[in-house]
Amino acid sequence: MATAELVLGLLSRAPAHGYDVKRGHDAWFPDGRPLAFGQVYTTLARLERDGLVEVTEKTSGGGPDRTVYAITEKGRKHLDDWLADPVPPAWGTADEMIRKLVTALRTGGDATSFLARQRAGHLRRIRELQELPPASGDPTTNLVRSYLVTHLDADLRWLDLALDRLTDDKESS
Amino acid sequence: MTLTPALELTGLEYAYRRNVALRGVTVVVAPGEVVAVTGASGCGKSTLLHCAAGILEPDAGTVRVTGQDLSALAEQDRSALRRTRIGIVLQFGQLVPDLSLADNVALPLLLGGARRDPARAAAVQWLDRVGIADHADAVPAQLSGGQTQRAAIARALITDPSVVLADEPTGSVDSQAGQDLLKVLLQSTRDRGAALVMVTHDNLLAASADREIRLRDGKIQHEVTLR
Repeated sequence: MATAELVLGLLSRAPAHGYDVKRGHDAWFPDGRPLAFGQVYTTLARLERDGLVEVTEKTSGGGPDRTVYAITEKGRKHLDDWLADPVPPAWGTADEMIRKLVTALRTGGDATSFLARQRAGHLRRIRELQELPPASGDPTTNLVRSYLVTHLDADLRWLDLALDRLTDDKESS
Repeated sequence: MTLTPALELTGLEYAYRRNVALRGVTVVVAPGEVVAVTGASGCGKSTLLHCAAGILEPDAGTVRVTGQDLSALAEQDRSALRRTRIGIVLQFGQLVPDLSLADNVALPLLLGGARRDPARAAAVQWLDRVGIADHADAVPAQLSGGQTQRAAIARALITDPSVVLADEPTGSVDSQAGQDLLKVLLQSTRDRGAALVMVTHDNLLAASADREIRLRDGKIQHEVTLR
């Protein structure tokens, strides 16, 4: 997961504390998993070590963390390269759904029931996404949601195909 | 106390000459439940819906609507039951082209013997609920596909049916209009406590159901609870 590059992206707008980085991330991905504080600080420490961010302000004492981080020139270059680089198409066999199906088929497990339950899980997730309050005025969040729904729909089409093939195989054997 | 199912299809069989479309399908739908019937083209899902609506008579099996066996009723009683307890929404609305939207929506009440003025007033109220009251006097040809379907939903619900049967209800409109139409359909049926059985090949539509029944080659392939 490209947490480091997301943190660089957030810092590219303005220097910020770790807390602001976390809040910024969660606002960018309101339907996703919130970024854990621990992950924010370990990522910032690693980026600082690699010279991609630098500390511009630090206050010590008993109060909350006041360390401010800024992106460096090297960090900006890294971010630009990352944004310019297309993501390699996924290796489908790394998908847990495929791994479970292959294992079920190879070991004589109940693959049809697994696929039917998987189909129900995907349909439930689509409904959750459809029932979210509209992200009016936020085209980015709407784009993310349509990406998720489109991918779930594509999975469902494949699940249908797999279910039909297994049903036909069962009936012809 | 067990509630009488809104719809009970038991052991339905149907064949178009030599093509067998349904091979002993049993489906029980509770009052207020939303069921999506899915499956590839030719799997028998529309035939199932048409048997449930009394449009087709099954070769074997029974159709019960709120406990009443359609085949046990005299023709007149069967027609009355179909008109008052079942609402039907088809893919292209199937409105009467020469009648205004209000008259189209009022039609089930008029056929049941209602007087014209109150029937029309009820139709305009329903057109308002589905968001197209401004078009009450328009004829279907003057409307978009989405508006026609909204009128079809109003016509299906005007008699307060126990079960609404919808065959690809969003199939004739684009995806955004389809989502809007789905919301109107779900809201209208839930408000009236009616059961809804939707035949669809659209996963986005099926996702909104309480239960999915998938047909394959005239039989139930699987059935899953979604809510």
